Amino acid sequence: MGIAAAATMLFGVTACSTGPATSGEEAGPNESITIDYLHRLPDGEGMTKVADIIAEWNTAHPDVQVTATKFDGKAAEMLTKLKADVKAGSVSCLAQLGYSEVPTMYTEGMLENVTDLAQGYVDNFSAGAVALMTVNGETVGLPQDTGPLVYYYNAAEFERLGLTVPTTADELAAATTAAAAAGKYAVAFQPDEAQYWLSGQTAAAGAAWFTAEDGKWSVDVSDAGTAKVASFWQGLIDTKSTLVANRWGDEFKQALVDQTLIGTIGAAWEAPLLAGDMAGSANEGQWAVVELPTFGATQMTGPDGGSGVAVMKGCAHPAEAMDFNNWFNTQIDPLVSQGLVVAAKGAMTTPDSIKSFYGGQDVFSVLAAANESLSPDFIYIPGFPAVNGDMVKAADAAGQGTAPVMDIFTAAQTSAIAALTSAGLPVAK
Amino acid sequence: MAPTTQTPPSLRPSPATLAITRIVLIAAAVLFLAPVYWLIVSSTKSNPDLISSNGLLFAGNNIVENYTALMSWTQGNFWRWVGNSMLYSTVAGVLGTLVSVSAGYALAKFRMPGKAGIQLAILGGLLMPIALLTVPLYIFFNGLGLTNTIWAVIIPSCVSPFGVFLGRMFVDAGVPDELLEASRLDGSGEVRTFFTLVLRLLAPAMVTIFLFIFVATWNNFLLPLMMLNSAELKPVTLGLYGMMSYFSPQYGAVLQGALLSVIPLVVLFFVLQRYWQSGLTAGAVKG
Amino acid sequence: MSTLTRPTAPERLVTEQRAQANRRRRRREGRIGWGFFAPFAILFVLTFVIPILVSIRSSFFTEKAAGDSLYGGGGMVETFAFLDNYAQVLGNATFWEGMGRVLLFGAFQIPVMLGGALILALLLDSFIVRRVAFFRLSYFLPYAIPGVIAALVWTYIFSPGLSPINQTLGSISEWLTGLLGNNVDLTIDFFAPGTIIASMATMTTWTFMGYNMLIFLAALQAIPHDLYEAARLDGAGEFDIVRRIKVPMVGQATLLAVLLSIIGTVQLFNEPTVLAAVNPWMGNDYTPMMLAYSSMMGTTSPSGAGPASAVSISMAVIAGILAAIFALVQKRSTR
Repeated sequence: MGIAAAATMLFGVTACSTGPATSGEEAGPNESITIDYLHRLPDGEGMTKVADIIAEWNTAHPDVQVTATKFDGKAAEMLTKLKADVKAGSVSCLAQLGYSEVPTMYTEGMLENVTDLAQGYVDNFSAGAVALMTVNGETVGLPQDTGPLVYYYNAAEFERLGLTVPTTADELAAATTAAAAAGKYAVAFQPDEAQYWLSGQTAAAGAAWFTAEDGKWSVDVSDAGTAKVASFWQGLIDTKSTLVANRWGDEFKQALVDQTLIGTIGAAWEAPLLAGDMAGSANEGQWAVVELPTFGATQMTGPDGGSGVAVMKGCAHPAEAMDFNNWFNTQIDPLVSQGLVVAAKGAMTTPDSIKSFYGGQDVFSVLAAANESLSPDFIYIPGFPAVNGDMVKAADAAGQGTAPVMDIFTAAQTSAIAALTSAGLPVAK
Repeated sequence: MAPTTQTPPSLRPSPATLAITRIVLIAAAVLFLAPVYWLIVSSTKSNPDLISSNGLLFAGNNIVENYTALMSWTQGNFWRWVGNSMLYSTVAGVLGTLVSVSAGYALAKFRMPGKAGIQLAILGGLLMPIALLTVPLYIFFNGLGLTNTIWAVIIPSCVSPFGVFLGRMFVDAGVPDELLEASRLDGSGEVRTFFTLVLRLLAPAMVTIFLFIFVATWNNFLLPLMMLNSAELKPVTLGLYGMMSYFSPQYGAVLQGALLSVIPLVVLFFVLQRYWQSGLTAGAVKG
Repeated sequence: MSTLTRPTAPERLVTEQRAQANRRRRRREGRIGWGFFAPFAILFVLTFVIPILVSIRSSFFTEKAAGDSLYGGGGMVETFAFLDNYAQVLGNATFWEGMGRVLLFGAFQIPVMLGGALILALLLDSFIVRRVAFFRLSYFLPYAIPGVIAALVWTYIFSPGLSPINQTLGSISEWLTGLLGNNVDLTIDFFAPGTIIASMATMTTWTFMGYNMLIFLAALQAIPHDLYEAARLDGAGEFDIVRRIKVPMVGQATLLAVLLSIIGTVQLFNEPTVLAAVNPWMGNDYTPMMLAYSSMMGTTSPSGAGPASAVSISMAVIAGILAAIFALVQKRSTR
């Protein structure tokens, strides 16, 4: 490492990256301003790199230069850093936040209210996703991608076993039982993903765990939708018809590759991931995706992940930041290449690599349709990230058969009330 | 550490002792290196091969693809990040070792007012979980304007309470008072005595402390995660974490990155070997 | 020297002068000592003392939403909670269960790891082995493997479907079953609640045995070699030298290694976190350090700087007490 390079690192970088974004100094007529943007996009091989997308903006906007930084840690670690940054007065103007994290950050006073600035842009995005970036009537940024639950299955195996593609939860249960008789699993129960994966399913079944009641939070998991999801999985676990495996564990991937697992309920953003997990195996070209079999009365699905780009508290140039935010999140094809199901309106082209894995299916049109049927009622409470541990623990026990599935939802309720109470928020008894 | 040939004939170990010793050492080496072997094998595989092939056998050659993926995932910064890690770890290691040994020397050889309190404070520093101090440290360093500079990583990394205790122990054991007195009688100043005599006596001990700080800095994750923003400043471990924090990383590429980033450490280890052995022990000086 | 007879005036003057010279020398020595200590002191204050003080302060505060509407009032207010956070920690069964686990872990893992490290160090320090550099590197290398990579290695080795250990044991089991006629299953479930602590201990031992070996090795090298010569002249064998000279002379190193291991045990984090990623039943609060971290990251309730600091300070106090007990016991037994 040359001395010159070291010197640049010491002085150059500090000078240009901590200053402009937050210090509130106004840019002169000929000076450019800098917008910092912190994200967790994968930016991997074969994707259109964030740096390249941004370079395009920077060339077109010499007066509003954007610096994007990839955060290398987990989502929770990024929230911690953002909070510290806001306290220290050096936060990035824009930051990627999961939809379930938005209310938490809002309550902690970490986000700017950009409702007025957003007016000109919200029509570019699906209304449901915009709603997820809106808390307490205030819009805090723009949505980036969504994660409606869908059903992936190995069409070739389904045909071989004479199974019909399920359109309802009962049909899915029947297909699973039939597959199990042939030594295959048509679904997997995934304890590690319990928090969003299962809550998303209850949302698809019509549940809304968190509602406002006389200005207080009401937390209730005793609805019919939640009961439906619980009994669905309980039945499959009791008869050992479902694979029980963590989504991100080796066992799950092994079962996919060796074709024991021939179907799974997953978020829309899993489409490229599943293709990646099974790349080079006999599964190539065999899989397909359909909308989630209906758990409730109508064709509806629930959210499992997805994120938006929020304007952080103390951003010195929110107008320019929102201008870029809108532009960046409407770059549909580059964002699709990053593995996202984008929230912006407009047709997504299914990348060839994904199309060929799914037997030539126009996967993204199905995912876009799923996006349109997202439940409008399921919202997250401030502190929802803290509910994860208890739900996952209970889900593991349910998967092992040592506790009922319903315990997962009771744990969610208890844990959610604890999170609200410890944050000092009002809870209805 | 002297080779067998220098051992007096009467002390030659019996063949049985020799055999047992060798077996124990080799068995231990196999146990410690087996996971590393898996690492090497796996770094040549594609994701599906990792799952479907025997982990201890090579299957398919994906080395080039993995390397390409590694370069792409790290935005072509991989070797720069390795260089950053080298820089941070070396500077923190050298500064940290000097500072630790100097402090250990003070505690071992001088009657200082407040010594008991100091040692308790250092122990207190050792007792607190570092991870929990990172956020307050970040906010404090931000106030000093140090965040997103190399110093934000180097300064905290070179402070090693354990290094001070080790330094103290080594000074106690390896620096006899008589030698210090002799050096002072020769008219050598305190600073000169420290740099010419004490540090020379402590060479093997310092190599140990240096290695500890070096590796700890190399593998530290939370500190650079919080302190650094610029891609140009990242250490390599952080980059590898970044690849892993995505849902479906290309494992072969990450593992290859890990292996490549361990190579400088191995080279360093063999370079330090020299100092380890040439260190003058107290006995050798006296004799 | 003047306790028997009253000192004469000149004698008193001399004593006085000597005492003064003594004091001067003391002061000078103290100054020099602080001079050598100062660089560390400054850095220690910057990077440890200040964050620790901040941490202690925040352990007496909680953060609550500023308003009482659904989403609070656009921010958090810090309120003085005095010992509430500590009461919360000490009354939290999860904290004590975690503490119990790590102590159980430490009671077995520390002796095995340090005993192994000492044996390896003694063998490498004996005069009978060649290629010391290779062995030393082999044992130390695991410490140099980044945690995120070690995590991959161990989840693979322990994974139910892929474990090479279980594949081997499975083959042996089949062979034995055929031989004995009744069903033999030697495979190990590394992830079962009953074995997971042993699995963590294996990981920790793998990572840190070489590290501790280096501590012992450095201490052994500091022993003056003429002690060995003298012992040999007295007719002592190599074994006697190990027992009577080497082991006692690494006493201080042992004390340090044990103290560090106790602290590391109470702060056990990496290994359980790695295992929890594939064993959701462990949760994100399986050990006290995991609880502290989750609390800091907002993934458990109560969360925030206050509760997280209270957990970590409680851990520090417990580790301190254990360390003090061990140091006292060691002092007693060596007297």
